[in-house]
Amino acid sequence: MIQDYIDGRLPPRPAGDVRDHLGACGPCAAEERDLRGVGELLRRWSAARVGEREPQLSALWTRVRAGIEERRKPWYVPALRRWFWVPAAAMVAVLTLLFYPSNGSRAPFHPNSFDVTVESIESDSATVALVDKGEGLPRVIWIIEHGKS
Amino acid sequence: MGSPDPRPGGYLPAIVCVALLLFAHIVVASPDSPVAVDVGVVLASNEGTTMDPALSSIRNQLQSMFTYSSYRMVDRLSRTLNVGETGDFGLPGNRSMRVTPAPSEGTKVRLAVQIMEEDRNILTTTLGLKRGGMVLVGGPAYQKGVLILIISAE
Repeated sequence: MIQDYIDGRLPPRPAGDVRDHLGACGPCAAEERDLRGVGELLRRWSAARVGEREPQLSALWTRVRAGIEERRKPWYVPALRRWFWVPAAAMVAVLTLLFYPSNGSRAPFHPNSFDVTVESIESDSATVALVDKGEGLPRVIWIIEHGKS
Repeated sequence: MGSPDPRPGGYLPAIVCVALLLFAHIVVASPDSPVAVDVGVVLASNEGTTMDPALSSIRNQLQSMFTYSSYRMVDRLSRTLNVGETGDFGLPGNRSMRVTPAPSEGTKVRLAVQIMEEDRNILTTTLGLKRGGMVLVGGPAYQKGVLILIISAE
């Protein structure tokens, strides 16, 4: 009955009777003080536990909320997000192929081969020489202009 | 615990990329496809010790082939030509170069090259090189050095 009174669970009239009795009865008043003290201790302990667990609870709530949001999105949104880079990468590849050969007059040369076949070579007004210094070096056609070079 | 990706199509992006690369290679390397002719006009001399940054990737080759101390790129010309189509490239010193891609097989490119000085023919040659390959044509005097043409075809 005293615990119900402390918790505010009694109707007004019985609560008034209990309050009157506690005012007149020393042992019951002492029991009421003890019970109120236990209640206060429990509240402090619960608050401390919640503080300790706050990061885990926060993370759990974040996951739950993300799951709720995910379910609200149309079915194709995750697929779009997952595959978006494929058309983007294809576009970059196509643009690179289209524009690389004319990408500026100062771009460095990047030969992938010096393997050259000279099928024919002639000159009307100069002496020409074919210079081959071996693998890894480019073949050179050298023009010796008469009276100039 | 690592476990195989159960999602079907997990390898789809990789397959799409490989297919794109293969397709691009076929398009670029087709024997009758246009040829991008790139010509670097370099003035090589013993005036100074310049190495043009645009030539840095072939610096070692140039220094192995020639004994000049300075290499300066004075012009860079490029044309994309179809087989049988002739491209004219203006060169320093009243010179010009005509390049005509010729029919070829596989990944090779054949170029008919003619270099003129005014109305004099100073070189006529036909070259076969791989796509992405390079050949040098040098010797014509210019200013205090000589011209070296870096001809590459893609």
